[in-house]
Amino acid sequence: MSEEETTHFGYRDVKTAEKAGMVRGVFDSVASNYDIMNDLMSAGVHRIWKRFTIELSGVRRGNRVLDIAGGTGDLAAKFAPMVGDEGEVVLADINASMLRVGRDRLLDKGVRGNLHYVQADAQYLPFPDDHFDCITIAFGLRNVTDKDLALRSMLRILKPGGRLLVLEFSKPRNPLLSRAYDAYSFSVLPFMGRLVAGDAESYQYLAESIRMHPDQETLKQMMEDAGFARCDFHDMTGGVVAVHRGFKS
Amino acid sequence: MSDIRMPTLHTAGLAAAEAAANAALRLSPHSIEALKPLAGRVLALECTRPAITLYIHSEANGELRLQGVHDGPVATRVTGTAKDFASLAQAEDPAAALINGGIQLEGNSSTLLDMQRVFNDLDIDWEAPLVSGLGDVAGHQLAGMLSAAFHWSRQSGDNLRRQLEEFAMEEARLAPPKLALEHFYEDVQQLSERSERLEQRVERLRLRLERLRRAS
Repeated sequence: MSEEETTHFGYRDVKTAEKAGMVRGVFDSVASNYDIMNDLMSAGVHRIWKRFTIELSGVRRGNRVLDIAGGTGDLAAKFAPMVGDEGEVVLADINASMLRVGRDRLLDKGVRGNLHYVQADAQYLPFPDDHFDCITIAFGLRNVTDKDLALRSMLRILKPGGRLLVLEFSKPRNPLLSRAYDAYSFSVLPFMGRLVAGDAESYQYLAESIRMHPDQETLKQMMEDAGFARCDFHDMTGGVVAVHRGFKS
Repeated sequence: MSDIRMPTLHTAGLAAAEAAANAALRLSPHSIEALKPLAGRVLALECTRPAITLYIHSEANGELRLQGVHDGPVATRVTGTAKDFASLAQAEDPAAALINGGIQLEGNSSTLLDMQRVFNDLDIDWEAPLVSGLGDVAGHQLAGMLSAAFHWSRQSGDNLRRQLEEFAMEEARLAPPKLALEHFYEDVQQLSERSERLEQRVERLRLRLERLRRAS
């Protein structure tokens, strides 16, 4: 990729090489208030979305699970007791601040032993081939510069029969809900960001990046193009969020 | 692919039920201990009317995890209508209710019977949470009152049921004795099995007749 190639950062076009740094800036800024803001912005419903993702994961004792863009460790904390001492959970995030907040939070909760922390870029995952039984990425894929590259990287490190779950904001199906959601995202979210986290800009980026993210069918196609088999998705909360699932054949 | 139509609502309901069940279990230490040996077992409750499937995972710490989707092996699968499940949950003798009721069971029945027994024997210790919230004196007194009310309501419910049963069977003769009813259910089950076999036999004969007709 040449230096002059561009990609989107919210609604802005930026140089491809610069996007990762800009995303890092956003998450450095929001890391300390991330959990509070998630609860406030979704009225706690993000916990339900994550819970359903865990149900779809099929994870059981002895499994090896990778949670990419794992942030403050919501999914990893649930997976750790499910895989037990025989299994392993890796919490990965490109952002050191988020990883630090996640690690402190999980240590405070007493989650340790079978849980490891890795600072890694989803596009170039530093793990051997056929290594994980399950990979999850929750609210992270839209921030990745080259999504196709990241999906191929995830496929490589999944064991045959293993599954990828992508939990991400998507496109509401109902036009009325869509309009209400737009109003909420572009007016209420930045206001909340300014009020609680003292950072309206990062939450403006959040709303814009959601709109730029591929819709349900496009993401499913991208997963199939990357080589995933039996891909499907579930809309949640009217399509505000969708969880995509694909298997390595 | 699971056939859950409204995952957010469905999952929220399960999360609430799980939180309530585990909160009750945590207040009944002997129930938690009784569930620990079941760790790793999954019980599937498949309700046909309304169509809902619930998977109950027994965790190593004695708590339960409820899921609407499960891909792995299941120790016991129980299928029936909501009414059948309600009857089983209230049954004094769950094993008899399983045999005589409309419930279909696949796999190991002990998981279901053990869990049912744990929830029937739930003895909530109100004292710990109340004492930590209200202090030793008030907490202890309120816990005593709650515990007495809990036991009284359970005992009264048992007494009322027994008296109603007695009245319905002995005084008003509205219902047959339990043993006669069980024999009747057995007869009905046998009749149902025989009818199914007869239906199969008639179908086989019909096909044979058709083949003979075509051959001639």
